[in-house]
Amino acid sequence: MSSNKVYVIGYGITKFGELYRQGPSSLAAQALTDAIVNSQVDKNQIQTAFFGSLVSSSNSQPSIGASCIRNCNLNIPITRIEAGNASGAAAFYQAYLSILSGVYECTAVIGVEKLSDYVQSGVIERILGSTIDYQWEYEMGATLTSLYAMLTKAHMKEFGTTLEQLASVPVKNHKNGVHNPQAQFRREIKIENFLKAKRISDPIGRFDPATYCDGAAVVILASSKYIEENSDISTQIPILGSGQASDSLALHHRDSLTTFSSSTKAATVAYIEAKLSPKDINFAEVHDSYPIGEILAIEDLGFFTKGEGNKATQEGLTELNAEISVNPSGGLKSRGDPFGATGVAQIVEIVEQMKGSTGQRQVSDNNYGLTQNVLGTGAMSYVNIFGKDEVKK
Amino acid sequence: MEPPKIWRERRERYLGIGNKCLDCNEKSFPRTDYCLKCSSKNIEEYKLSKTGKILQFTQVTQPAQEHIFYSPFIIGLIELDDGIQVTGQIVDYNYDDVKEGMKVRMTFRILSIDNEEGLIKYGYKFVPY
Repeated sequence: MSSNKVYVIGYGITKFGELYRQGPSSLAAQALTDAIVNSQVDKNQIQTAFFGSLVSSSNSQPSIGASCIRNCNLNIPITRIEAGNASGAAAFYQAYLSILSGVYECTAVIGVEKLSDYVQSGVIERILGSTIDYQWEYEMGATLTSLYAMLTKAHMKEFGTTLEQLASVPVKNHKNGVHNPQAQFRREIKIENFLKAKRISDPIGRFDPATYCDGAAVVILASSKYIEENSDISTQIPILGSGQASDSLALHHRDSLTTFSSSTKAATVAYIEAKLSPKDINFAEVHDSYPIGEILAIEDLGFFTKGEGNKATQEGLTELNAEISVNPSGGLKSRGDPFGATGVAQIVEIVEQMKGSTGQRQVSDNNYGLTQNVLGTGAMSYVNIFGKDEVKK
Repeated sequence: MEPPKIWRERRERYLGIGNKCLDCNEKSFPRTDYCLKCSSKNIEEYKLSKTGKILQFTQVTQPAQEHIFYSPFIIGLIELDDGIQVTGQIVDYNYDDVKEGMKVRMTFRILSIDNEEGLIKYGYKFVPY
């Protein structure tokens, strides 16, 4: 990869939750304005913007970027990227490439989703149908939750994973999320509540999935050249490695139900580019939309051996400041999951942790952080690695 | 619901038709215009096995809009006797009695009905035997 590095120089994030008073473009504009202020750059220096969004809004305006840019009084080219639940990370990856290519020096990445408008039963399930094989899974009756239920059962069968081990994922994430002011659910939930809850798609209980909600998150990226010319910028977090990979859309075309090979492949690309190994990573923001998602993630990303993510989580090895802090933000589970915003919110968390500004959820070793964002049941995965002190080397 | 789409997919959904490569013998479902393995266009229609076994299954209690009428129902990952895997509903059976490895046969059923237009989408489901 080229010697030109890409840096995160600013960020902005809205509260995540049911934000009935705000539409999608107002959320995006709020986060973008905050990010511009945070980055201390003149807004006219931002040359282009990449929007990550799955559906954007109920007003059938997929070109959400256009109205957001107008709300921020900007006049720049925009690109909307769609990669389902991983749209935010996909937009980030394209922005990263746009700087590495040498075309742009300073770009914005905006992840946004507005889901609380869909109040009718079954609508979100239909939207999520586009993240699995619509024709041969969704139309046959499968939902994203039911496919994750089968992935959970496969892990339970192969590695003896228990419901208690699975429930320890959201228990831990809710514990972390208490200290995240942006999070939708800032309260701890006892393990008994997860275990006693009604099964919505056996063995997935009612409280297990992350909740879809509204929100927007933004990061501003800049090139090495831009950083040299503006050395007074206070946030300079370099992206050390970034990877994306795919797998078959339908579970029935997979060789294994106990791994997301897209995550493993994306991580391998990112580790090689960063010249790091999983052991070097101090903390990670991973896609815990269902408890099994985090267990698969910490195995597929190499933090734990395949089949041991279950025990590791139950034993507390992924808690804040344990062996590796996984989802210090509270993850999708506690923060809420506005699909397109999630991938960018994960990166915002990494940057805030590296700047030491996260208060009671601060990780003590904050040198190397990783994000993993997943589309559907692992049809696409995006992995990014950031390093705090790399800039000084 | 889009009638042209239902019409386009009728042979796959109604009859379980995939295709087989005459050069390398690779079978695939759904149909493609060329072999997924060797890219040959020398292919012919292939009828899926009517029977198979349940690899994995679960219950759907929060379905999408168009499937709410049938809720709750069982969805499973089925391996047909010819080795091809598909996703489909498991019907005419109690959830608690379904087991992994159970033998199933393909059956022709209603998948969903469009509330506004009354259009019916048919397709295969599976019955344990």
